[in-house]
Amino acid sequence: MLNFGSASSKRFTSAPHLRDASVHWYAEGMLREPPRSEPPFAEQLLEQAGALYNFACYLCRNPAEAEDLVQDAFARALNAQNSFVLGSNLRAWLFRILRNTFLDGRRRQRKSPLTEESDGEAASSDDWLRGDFEIDRLRGLVARDIEAALSRLSEEGRTVILLDLEGFTETEIASVMDTAVGTVKSRLARARATLREELKEYAK
Amino acid sequence: MSDCRTMRELLLDAVRGRLAAPQSVAFTAHLQTCSDCRRLFEREQALEHALERRPRHALPDSLREKLAATLATAAAPPTAAAPAAAAAPAPPRRRLNRWAAMIVPGLAAALLAALLVRGFGGSRQPLIDEAINDHLRVLYAQHPIEIESGGIHQVKPWFAGKLDFAPVLEFSGDEEFPLEGGAIALFVDRKAATFVFKHRLHTASLFVFRSQDLSFPSHPDHAVGGRSAASAASRGFNVLLWRDHDLGYALVSDMDPAALARLAAKVTQTH
Repeated sequence: MLNFGSASSKRFTSAPHLRDASVHWYAEGMLREPPRSEPPFAEQLLEQAGALYNFACYLCRNPAEAEDLVQDAFARALNAQNSFVLGSNLRAWLFRILRNTFLDGRRRQRKSPLTEESDGEAASSDDWLRGDFEIDRLRGLVARDIEAALSRLSEEGRTVILLDLEGFTETEIASVMDTAVGTVKSRLARARATLREELKEYAK
Repeated sequence: MSDCRTMRELLLDAVRGRLAAPQSVAFTAHLQTCSDCRRLFEREQALEHALERRPRHALPDSLREKLAATLATAAAPPTAAAPAAAAAPAPPRRRLNRWAAMIVPGLAAALLAALLVRGFGGSRQPLIDEAINDHLRVLYAQHPIEIESGGIHQVKPWFAGKLDFAPVLEFSGDEEFPLEGGAIALFVDRKAATFVFKHRLHTASLFVFRSQDLSFPSHPDHAVGGRSAASAASRGFNVLLWRDHDLGYALVSDMDPAALARLAAKVTQTH
């Protein structure tokens, strides 16, 4: 299993996120039957650029930084294309590279804590039953309220929500985030609960 | 209640429409008898709908071109400098430009870059791309319609308080183009009223939004009602884009251009 602790970062001077990537991918059962005629690798990468940039904007919260991040992630993906197993999930592989590039950058700059889960405890699932207006309030929210609430989640909370919205399965998210499926489930539930709390503030 | 516990584990998959048929049947049946689970489901669904309205950050053209150039460079036959670059991947770079600049891109690379940009850049008209992307969101959304149509007089009032303008539209659907319902969408950086029409098996989305500060195509080529619209075909969709006073209209569908023009004529008939 991959580890992004500081010790492993020191040991692997380049592309630590790609070490034994293919083994990992097999292990997660994510190999798919390779389509008979796939477009060239470069074209497949470029097809994902839009989704990766959108994700990068949410991670960095700064368009210029997001552009750099996407470029760095593309460079890493190109350097590592030999470790990509043809026919496996290119999209998940790319999102994983992008996020790991982001985390490595933050770690180098010692910006904001990365692993601390600051999304707090999920509210008991019955708490809301006391108030009936939440659903109506959610309907009145505008896009920027939602973006603001997302930006207040921890990096892990935001990532799990965004990957879920991108249509990744929990198994795929677990591979992108290098964690267990059970952890993805609990993080997703916690992040959604936190997000609801955040959104309450905007919906008043 | 253990039944509730089982059902609540299925909640998120149910919201995403990912339950297998037997589970889905059991889940739906449970919701009909358990008001607590039903409200939990509605709450998750409302959050999901809210999240669907999050802003999407569109890939800047300049970045797309840089990426395409990089990919083309990597795909080009190695020049003298290329093996050195490949052999020393070492510390991650801040900017790929520097990396790319190490290799003199050949003519083949430039050609491939141009092809890639053309192939994936879509139309060079951002509003057309935006309209198609928004239409795709309507098509892919699990519950694209937030207000079911019982006619335009039910749909339009629903927008009140949700938009900072009142969408001007009198066409309430007919046999050829029944109005399915409405929703709020995000168009570029602003909210849009979305009207969803059907035409046999095709779906058409009409986005109505404030046109201020948006650059519309400079050469409208299509007469729609009394308006001049720009028409475009991209990614298999036909798009008509026009302006009326300070509102913009984008009509998108995979139906044939003639049918789309008929719908546009009906949509514009009274304004």
